[in-house]
Amino acid sequence: MNNFVELLAAWALFHESADEGWKAAVARGRAQTPGAMKDGPDAFVEGLAALVDEEKERLKQRLAEESTTPEKGTPSESAERLEQLGFEIAELRGQVESLQASIDGIADQLQR
Amino acid sequence: MASQTNCSVDIPAGRGRRILAQAAAGLLRTLWHCRFGLVDAQRRRKIVGQQARRFCEAMGPSFIKLGQLASVRPDVFAPETVFELERLQDRIAPVSTRVIREAITRQLGADPDRVFADFDDEPLAAASVAQVHRARLRQAYRPVRGAVLPAGTWVAVKVLRPGIDSIIAADLAIARRWAQRLSRFRRLARWGPIELVDEFADMLGRELDLRNEGRTADRFGHDFKDDPQVRVPRIIWRHSTSRILVSEFVEGWRLNELGAAERAGIDARRLAIHGADVFMRQVLVLGYFHADLHPANLFVTPEGQLCFLDFGIVGTTTAAQQEAIAQVLAGLVYGDAARALRYSRKLGLEIPETQVEPIRAKIEQLVHTHLLAPATADVRGFALGFLSTLTDFRVRIPAGYGLLIKALVTVEGVSHAIYPDLDLMEAAQPFATRLIAAQLMRPERLRERVAAARSAAMEALLA
Ligand SMILES: Nc1ncnc2c1ncn2[C@@H]1O[C@H](COP(=O)(O)OP(=O)(O)OP(=O)(O)O)[C@@H](O)[C@H]1O
Repeated sequence: MNNFVELLAAWALFHESADEGWKAAVARGRAQTPGAMKDGPDAFVEGLAALVDEEKERLKQRLAEESTTPEKGTPSESAERLEQLGFEIAELRGQVESLQASIDGIADQLQR
Repeated sequence: MASQTNCSVDIPAGRGRRILAQAAAGLLRTLWHCRFGLVDAQRRRKIVGQQARRFCEAMGPSFIKLGQLASVRPDVFAPETVFELERLQDRIAPVSTRVIREAITRQLGADPDRVFADFDDEPLAAASVAQVHRARLRQAYRPVRGAVLPAGTWVAVKVLRPGIDSIIAADLAIARRWAQRLSRFRRLARWGPIELVDEFADMLGRELDLRNEGRTADRFGHDFKDDPQVRVPRIIWRHSTSRILVSEFVEGWRLNELGAAERAGIDARRLAIHGADVFMRQVLVLGYFHADLHPANLFVTPEGQLCFLDFGIVGTTTAAQQEAIAQVLAGLVYGDAARALRYSRKLGLEIPETQVEPIRAKIEQLVHTHLLAPATADVRGFALGFLSTLTDFRVRIPAGYGLLIKALVTVEGVSHAIYPDLDLMEAAQPFATRLIAAQLMRPERLRERVAAARSAAMEALLA
């Protein structure tokens, strides 16, 4: 339910943020140099449309997945979390290995 | 008047005097070239920059590093100086291999021939603070990310020049002493010479512990793991310490070596655009960026990947800054100077109300002459003009803002080295759009801004 509302909210925000000021800004930019920016507003609208679509799909998918697995998060989310954890552990291992290298160096110095 | 830190540092006899003599000579040359102040301000600042660069090159490693650090700080130094310092020559005579071998032995407790399978005595590169040699792994190694590196893998062994710490400490002690003297003059005190030296000492200190660089490299590689066009050498921590950094050796061309033949084998235009994309993703999504990109720190591999080296200087951005930066970029890309300026102020550019209009007009003019009118946008020319304008209007430039602008200029330089005809502004248009949209679509942003919309929607649903 929450996600569905978020989707609506996203839409609401979109309409709110593509306000007259922004549109006018794009138009102003266009008016200043005819030709040089002929793609501007078009590219803008296309970009927005693509993004809204992507986001919509993502939200929809999350909504569907969440209704089947309520608490645990989606499998892809778990995999990502595990990967992140793996990286952080590996980072720590790297730091320990580096410390070990330093200790070896110091030990060798002491023996000389 | 030595401060506490000075006491523990050995300053070689005559070093202070030698620096002073060089500086005085430089000053005289500067005055002469400036016709004792008769040339205009921008030209004068450029001459000062050239002389500062020569001075740094003549004074050795700490000053070269200082110059390099200064070259990303248009918030402190005049923009013309900063752009000149970028050309600082960092390649200096290598240290003898015997000395490097000894340093490795002392650090790792075993001589390089025991640590590595082949240690190449011919240095790959000799820079101001470090020297790089090629070698091969004796045993397989499992790096922080990706597959195991088999025994025999070629690696790059970066070793700090022995004694570099004390050279730098001595120079910093001298600099600190002068900073104290200078800060007694009220006019100069405003400039904060002591804080400046401390800040540089801090940055240098971080650069002199190579583990920082290694960690950033691993993190960067991890964050771009899904991007097949980005390559970051992985670190072999088992043989790395604060003074030695061993990373997998990457074959490739430096950007200034890229000729027609090399470009023919890769999709240069796409790669150039991708390079700019990678930078944007760092700044606007990941919240940190490689602030020391220069052609020697970037390779193009035969597989058509971009390989990033040397993560010595890293800038950071917060979520709020990211949003404002996206807006500034969009303003520039779409030729909307008012927007660029409005969001620049959100990024900490303090412009008194009365100056907003004249500065906006000037920016608009710069946007048109450098970004929109020419066949290929000239970000560098724009940035120099923009920073000069701010200097002329005596607007203080926040450190992060300056770093970012410098980095953006570098990105253009890098993209052009890969594909000379690339128009960064044109390439950025759809991208800037997507960025702004993506910023607005962030869950945390939504939550913060749409509470009202949400409850309205909820009510509509429940009704
Ligand atoms: N992993 C690597 N693979 C291939 N070449 C490397 C690697 N690491 C370093 N090099 C070579 O060594 C040179 C110097 O390395 P690096 O830039 O890390 O040193 P530096 O002392 O920080 O130099 P600078 O002061 O110019 O930034 C690089 O330009 C590159 O030619």
